[in-house]
Amino acid sequence: MFEKDIYQLIRGLRSHKGNEREYIHESLRECRKEIKSQDMDQKATALMKLVYLEMFGHDMSWASFNVLEVMSSPKYIQKRVGYLAAVQSFRPDTEVLMLAENLLKKDLNSPDKVTIALPLGAIPHVINASMANSLLTDLLPRLAHSLPAIRKKTIVTLYRLALVYPETLRPAWPKIKDRLLDEHEDPSVTAAIVNVVCELGWRRPQDFLSLAPRLFELLTAGGNNWMAIKIIKLFSTLTPLEPRLVKKLLPPLTSIIKTTPAMSLLYECINGIIQGGIMEAAEGTTEGNEVARLCLSKLRAMLVVEGDPNLRYVALLAFAKITSSHAGLVSQHQDVILECIDDADISIRTHALDLVVDMINANNLQTVVERLLKQLRTAGKAPEAAADPTEDRGMHDGIVPMADEDDEEMQASIRPKEQKTAQAPPLPDDYRTSVIERILEMCSRETYGNMSDFEWYIGVLVDLVKQCPSSPASGSFGSLHTPVAKERPNVADAVGAELLNVAVRVKAVRPDAAAAAQNLLLFDRRQDFFPSAGSGGQGVLASAAFVAGEYASMLPDPEAVLTSLLHSSSTQLQASVLASYLQAIPKLFTVLTSDQQGQWTAARRSTTTLLIARIVHFLEPLTLHPNLDVQERAVEYLDLMRLASEAASNQQIDSEGGSYAEPPLLLTQAIPSLFSGMELNPVAPAALRKVPRPEELDLDAPINGNLQMLLQQADYDTDIDDASDEVYKFYHEKPSAVTTTSHQRPAAELREPPGASKRSSYQDAETEPLDREAAERKRAERRERYKDDPYYIDSERASGTSTPTPMHNILRSSNGEELDVDAIPVMELKLDSREVSDRERPAAPRPPSANNKKKPAKRHFEIAGDETLGGGDDTPASLLLSSRASKTASTSRSGGKKSLLEVDSSGLSALSLSDEGARNGGRQSQLDIERRQAEEEEMARAIREVERLRLEMQRAQERIRPRDMPEDGTVVRRKKRRVKVRSEVMDEEPADDGGGGGEEGAEVKKRRKKKKRRGEGSVADEKSVGEKAAGGDEEADVPVKTKRKKKRQVTFDDDDAV
Amino acid sequence: MINAVLVFNNNGQPRLTKFYTQLDTSVQQRLLSEIFTLVAARPSSSCNFLPLPPLLAPPQTSSTTTSPESNDAPSLVTYRHYATLYFIVISTSTESPLALLDLIQVYVEALDRLFENVCELDLIFNFETLHAVLAEMIVGGVVIETGLDKVVEGVRAQGRVAKRPINESRGGLSQGIWAGR
Repeated sequence: MFEKDIYQLIRGLRSHKGNEREYIHESLRECRKEIKSQDMDQKATALMKLVYLEMFGHDMSWASFNVLEVMSSPKYIQKRVGYLAAVQSFRPDTEVLMLAENLLKKDLNSPDKVTIALPLGAIPHVINASMANSLLTDLLPRLAHSLPAIRKKTIVTLYRLALVYPETLRPAWPKIKDRLLDEHEDPSVTAAIVNVVCELGWRRPQDFLSLAPRLFELLTAGGNNWMAIKIIKLFSTLTPLEPRLVKKLLPPLTSIIKTTPAMSLLYECINGIIQGGIMEAAEGTTEGNEVARLCLSKLRAMLVVEGDPNLRYVALLAFAKITSSHAGLVSQHQDVILECIDDADISIRTHALDLVVDMINANNLQTVVERLLKQLRTAGKAPEAAADPTEDRGMHDGIVPMADEDDEEMQASIRPKEQKTAQAPPLPDDYRTSVIERILEMCSRETYGNMSDFEWYIGVLVDLVKQCPSSPASGSFGSLHTPVAKERPNVADAVGAELLNVAVRVKAVRPDAAAAAQNLLLFDRRQDFFPSAGSGGQGVLASAAFVAGEYASMLPDPEAVLTSLLHSSSTQLQASVLASYLQAIPKLFTVLTSDQQGQWTAARRSTTTLLIARIVHFLEPLTLHPNLDVQERAVEYLDLMRLASEAASNQQIDSEGGSYAEPPLLLTQAIPSLFSGMELNPVAPAALRKVPRPEELDLDAPINGNLQMLLQQADYDTDIDDASDEVYKFYHEKPSAVTTTSHQRPAAELREPPGASKRSSYQDAETEPLDREAAERKRAERRERYKDDPYYIDSERASGTSTPTPMHNILRSSNGEELDVDAIPVMELKLDSREVSDRERPAAPRPPSANNKKKPAKRHFEIAGDETLGGGDDTPASLLLSSRASKTASTSRSGGKKSLLEVDSSGLSALSLSDEGARNGGRQSQLDIERRQAEEEEMARAIREVERLRLEMQRAQERIRPRDMPEDGTVVRRKKRRVKVRSEVMDEEPADDGGGGGEEGAEVKKRRKKKKRRGEGSVADEKSVGEKAAGGDEEADVPVKTKRKKKRQVTFDDDDAV
Repeated sequence: MINAVLVFNNNGQPRLTKFYTQLDTSVQQRLLSEIFTLVAARPSSSCNFLPLPPLLAPPQTSSTTTSPESNDAPSLVTYRHYATLYFIVISTSTESPLALLDLIQVYVEALDRLFENVCELDLIFNFETLHAVLAEMIVGGVVIETGLDKVVEGVRAQGRVAKRPINESRGGLSQGIWAGR
């Protein structure tokens, strides 16, 4: 069979359209056979085909040994294929790498320049630490190769070596530096070195400060824009360390900005000025101001330039970097930045949006938000418009087919630049989401500090609901079995939370908020807001339902809302939304039925019972809902409704004769009281944590020794109550055995409400003049109920008079007065002062801006601030959070979750290029020097010591020989000599230091070997320094480790001995 | 530094993949298709910078902080679209975005010089040359040469650059189409 070459493979692939997979598998089978062939040509061809198929995702790791075979071919053409295959297919775990080492060494030393280039290009892809160590000796000479092309590749290869084996830089860096400093070096080699230095630079900028003069020279010489860009990048990491550079750099950078025609260089100059902190450093000086102005005007020009989105993009990036330090300067250009919000390109929009969020103020908030809203609205229609099939290339899933048919297209020269098909892109969902999030962020910033029109804001929120992207889980919509964990908060929830927030904080617009909630909830308007089933906006319904329930009395049409809530489709909603619905239903019911003034007529009775029947009908199936929250609420309210139904039907109605028939108390009093309580106020997240524990509070001490008995007694007491109340109590009251007395008496003795008091509302239940005792008790009970609820802060407690609690009542009635319940310390929330200051705050920070003056009729909104305690700012919480966040961030980074494709260079940060350090005198390198000096010194001393001992030994031998024969005659070998030394030393100092002496010898030998390897250049001068310092300079030795010190001690002992 | 250079056509079929770190073949393919999805969705009027694909996206928590460590991680995806081909460069923040665009331009011009009016078919059949040109410009993720002449000269020094085999294209369109350009 005649084997295919690579062309035939590709041609075959192209002709087997439709069944490429089969063809590929067939080809792979052939390759497996061919690659085992003895014919090198065939082997190389097979390998080439494998490399081609690898590009399409067909693993070829099994062929790694064959790769090696082809790599070692003497023919260049074949060798090249082998190296290409190695680069493309070798992975860190490829075992043949060990075998490749010698081949790489051999090819590095090849006389043929193209052959040398092969390993130079391949080594960066396959290198590991142990290989680096052994290849280093072969690579270093290539730095002096006659061809610049080889030299520059070697430099980069050495850099990659250094990444896995930092020690590489010790011998290599001095040579590379010499190349950089050499003015006659080929410019492309210099450029390559600058690129490498730029990569190294940000890791250890202090090591490269000494290069600044040469780099500066290269920068000002001009000529190579690529290199200039890199030099500027490098300088931007150096300037923070060397402030003097700022002054030096300003003139050339300014002149480049003014004169260069290359946009990339211009941009990098500006970027370097920003990133290197030159703007801050030069602030105040005339040059500094000039350069800042220049940069910003150039950036502005980049933003407004027509037809180059790339410049707009990078200009926005630069603006974003300035804005943290010079927000004022940036906001001068907000007009052009705002333009970018509507850019056709989403990347640009996103970055503009980031900037705009920081520039928002009371004056431009509405325009910006309107602009964004318009964008969302108009783009909302895009998906339908873009049904054009040519435009949805993104819909392809995966890259499977390999055969291509449109040859004409492929033959189109790729020279002509990008085709133009300008078209407004449909907004992707994540962009939509981020726009909505940004709008909310802008509006709610600083507790609505920039907001001047809340009616408008509510309108915006309602509008946003329509713009919410459909939730990703739309497929599972309606499935009741969606686990709660999957319901991650989406943007609709955030919109809902804002609606709720406004309703709670801004009293003035509460009716508007309630109306908005009604609009959202009404079933017949659902199509407007949630066009498709599973639309992401559904999350808002939970908050809307809460607002509608909580402020039910403000709803324009509570009955319609209740009807919508009770609609059978509601049961299909998400569990969290449904739970909120369930909570709202009885509240609405209360508003509709609890009218106390009205007569209890037959008509009223029938509407009430009808309503109850509908609610019961809705709740009944939900008692089996899989979500426990929903189930529990359904069960609770179902039974409440049944009670209500009973009460309604049992209550006598007005029979003809004009006498007043009272509505059932359960409906007018009991049920409303369930939902009325303190006004809901926003509470700072940290407030609860700040509640101080009273000093006298002892949580371990029993409050009442004979509590058990009391409770039993209380149980017994209530037995006399009638049956219906028993049931009521069972459902309504807390499960604890503590019984309260407020509800069980069917307050029959209640007088008729005097006069025309206002409509019953659970929000201001206290205003209802019930009989005083009952009211008191009710309030007390409520306080008891909400005692553990962080959202209910009882301002009355601050007064210090502890009102009687239900428990108190019981105790009082059963035990008389002997137990002083008032003595039980109750924590006091001192809110008054804080509250006042909070209430006043929102008005204060708003500056009397020009805009406000123009529109004097603007309403003044009072925005309730968060309630909190003590210090006022909730730093503890935020600090705690941020520190936790940063901790997780740091652990996640250090925890090895490094990005794909990342080349870790952290190893470099540990290594100091010490000769650099010597000149710069950086603190870190200073230490290094001291340590090295100490080492050198010790080394020199040790060598002398060894020499001395050797001599001594020889002398001793001569002395000894007559007396006692050594085993093997003369001392020639160092090793033998060492043994001798030991015996010698032992002879002289019998007891303590003998062993140490032997160790010393071994140590010295090891040292010497290490030193030899460490290299040629730098050691020499340091050695001389070390020797100069050698004469017993003990001070220099202080930082040396104690272990070494001990050894030195030994040495001196020996000295003494001699 | 540069982390990867990719070339694929309008249908997402790879024409060159070069990763400067060792990655599993399957991961490479995933990255390729993620980037293709991103790039294909962009209209031609938009800028040449892509958001990071999900595979390369940094962990959520550290998105805003810029620590020195982040300089190692790829943060920039630059692309250019020529006729039927996309050229992608993935790099860290130490590279200049605008300079990378120029680098891609140099690469394409070098190919054009070598193949004389290069088109996708040339690259399909001579993907080895594609690698050779790249090797003259980037070694181990560091740019070593940006001069067009030197790159071309370096590739030619390795031997003759083959043209695409004659009669490759179907329908006899072969000569006329590129002769005229």
